[in-house]
Amino acid sequence: MNSIVSCCKLLGAKASNVHVFGGYLSRGMAKTIDDYKIKWVRPVKLPSIDPRQSGDLGLNVSVKPTDMKVLYDKSKELQDADEIVKRMFTLEFQPRRETKNLEREKVIALVKRHICDRNSAEVRIAAMTTEIQYLQRHIAEQRRNVKLKVFLKELIDKRKKFLKYIRRWDYKRFEWLLERLNLIYIPQPKIPGRVSRKDALRQLTKNYCDGIIQQKLNVFKAQLKEQQKVFFAQKIKNLEYILAEEKKYDLNPTVSEKQIDDARKKLEEILKETV
Amino acid sequence: MPKHKYHNCVVMAQNIARKQALTYLLGVCVPSSKQNAAKIRIKRADFDSYLLMYFAKYEFIYATDPQKLCKTGDTVLIQSLPQKLTRLIAHKVVDVIYPLGDITDPISGKKVVAGRYREHIEEDAKLFGDLKSMYKYDEAPERGITAGKRDFTDKETYIKYSDDPKDYDPYAVNP
Repeated sequence: MNSIVSCCKLLGAKASNVHVFGGYLSRGMAKTIDDYKIKWVRPVKLPSIDPRQSGDLGLNVSVKPTDMKVLYDKSKELQDADEIVKRMFTLEFQPRRETKNLEREKVIALVKRHICDRNSAEVRIAAMTTEIQYLQRHIAEQRRNVKLKVFLKELIDKRKKFLKYIRRWDYKRFEWLLERLNLIYIPQPKIPGRVSRKDALRQLTKNYCDGIIQQKLNVFKAQLKEQQKVFFAQKIKNLEYILAEEKKYDLNPTVSEKQIDDARKKLEEILKETV
Repeated sequence: MPKHKYHNCVVMAQNIARKQALTYLLGVCVPSSKQNAAKIRIKRADFDSYLLMYFAKYEFIYATDPQKLCKTGDTVLIQSLPQKLTRLIAHKVVDVIYPLGDITDPISGKKVVAGRYREHIEEDAKLFGDLKSMYKYDEAPERGITAGKRDFTDKETYIKYSDDPKDYDPYAVNP
């Protein structure tokens, strides 16, 4: 009779927990993704010519409008020329490309091997980097210049290819070059693809579930640690008691001092970890 | 030709012997998501019986590497373990044979950079008049100073799926 009553109770308990949800039975838990408080922000699509995509963090070279045009600072004729004539050859009164040329020379000077070096991989990458950053600044103003955008994209890809090669040839120099030119190198992922709401939510849900599992595991581990404290304290007591009793009755000792010391050390370690 | 009556027994014995023998494999280390284990890509020649040609076929093996010997791109020697460590890991990394980007000419024993000896590059620079900005191999630190800061080739990258600033990951590539 008792068993029948308990069975009925169980059934009743089950029935109260189960809901009919769209023709299916559900257990009154979260029904949609919104119930999990998962927030998804769609990542912004960046154009490939954006500095954040190309990995340019900016170059630290100073080019002032009062600087002389490239190579003109070494001119003997200009040294004893009039101040007005000298000023004519500063960047302020020269076309914009002269500013770019001077900047390029200064960036190349960061990685140059020798005075005649114009063709080494690092110099070529440095020259490309200057050009890329110049064009990025230029395109921010001139947004409709499509030909220039295409050129810039191709140049970024070419530099990336050169960086890939230099990584394979000489890894240390590759890293030195990244630091010197303030660049970031991220390889393209093996599985390309668009961002989709469905996949992103799946991934986020997976992360959420993993988080819950990890949280529960951590709690369980902490519980076990607490149990270990009690266990080792009891173990030391028991071992000491056994040792004392065996000595008392002149029996062969089955417990050594070393075992007790080990247990003490273990207890200390656990106490230290938890503090 | 009829099989020997102990044929099956002999095959079984061979299989057991083969299992116990420790095999060595040479492969390339690729980015792995596992801790303490490296993912090794092993190239095998796969015969196409229709075209009568061999094609490259890649196999991926996880090898335990507690000392973190190998880095991404290194060519490493791995050995099979007598017993499986986990369901996936049944090999261990023995040694790095060819580190990536640090090539040594096997005949002369000199360091090589893309078809030229390092010595010759430095000599050329000296003849032209070397500069302070030149890269110096003697003062260079070991590989890996920019790993995870500037150089993100050590782990697998993926397309960013969420733009949450809380869990920012530099290995997520902008779409």
